[in-house]
Amino acid sequence: MNEMEPEESKIDRLLRASMAAPAPELPADFERRVMLGVQRNERALEQGRRILLVGYSLTSAFASAVVMRGQGLDWAVTSGLILGPIALVGAAWWVWRANSTSLRRGAPSP
Amino acid sequence: MDGDAELVARAQRGDERAFEALVARYSTKVFRLAVSILGQEFVPEAEDVAQEVFLKIHRAITTFRSEAEFGSWVYRITFNEAVNLKARVRYKSPHLNEAALVGAAALGPGPQSQAEAAMRDQVIEDCIQTLPEVYQSALRLYYWMDEGVSDVARMLGVPENTAKSYLHRARRLLSHMLKDKGYDNE
Repeated sequence: MNEMEPEESKIDRLLRASMAAPAPELPADFERRVMLGVQRNERALEQGRRILLVGYSLTSAFASAVVMRGQGLDWAVTSGLILGPIALVGAAWWVWRANSTSLRRGAPSP
Repeated sequence: MDGDAELVARAQRGDERAFEALVARYSTKVFRLAVSILGQEFVPEAEDVAQEVFLKIHRAITTFRSEAEFGSWVYRITFNEAVNLKARVRYKSPHLNEAALVGAAALGPGPQSQAEAAMRDQVIEDCIQTLPEVYQSALRLYYWMDEGVSDVARMLGVPENTAKSYLHRARRLLSHMLKDKGYDNE
């Protein structure tokens, strides 16, 4: 900045004098507030995903039931064909969750 | 201390501590960049901008590609966010900074020179407000926040020589404006 013209040096001094006030600082709890906002967003997103998944499941189960009944299948077979895969996915999820929890318990603390 | 790339990779895998470390690393610069664009009367809004920037980054961090520089990405989001907010708050009356007024009253040799200095500062601030956003930001970062030219350049996402030229042109424009208003820059 030492190649300034005299006119520019004057305005440089003026700006330094005019902006001598201390720069503002962020509040001490800023990071905590950001992380709270992040967690709030995550929860809202998770809730949205669940609502979408439940909505999709109910709609597809209903549509499947209508189609299967239309093909002449009785209620017992229709229910079995709809609830069977759901039970299978539920069981797989339960096993996966149980495994990951026990792995986490066994892991050394950071 | 982990580098940005390492922290970003961990944050992309869902590690909240890594994201918190990134917030701690960039929060001051993000806030300063936002203040430099919005102006000194809009510090609370700049705080909101900083918070919104980090929430946006958290939502989009999985889309960030590691070959780009994380800091540039953060500053670009901040700049856009602050400029958008500025367009919305342009006609809103600024907050009265009582602390600054009290501070100004406590300084200076006499009431007349204090009043003159306050008036001069107001005229300068009014002139700065009419400059293009990048010039305003460069001036405030450099003179008010004491950022070096290289930091100003990084925060504005331009080469160092461009940042120097922003400062140079902003000073010249200000000098002409002040002359037009009857100030001889002394």
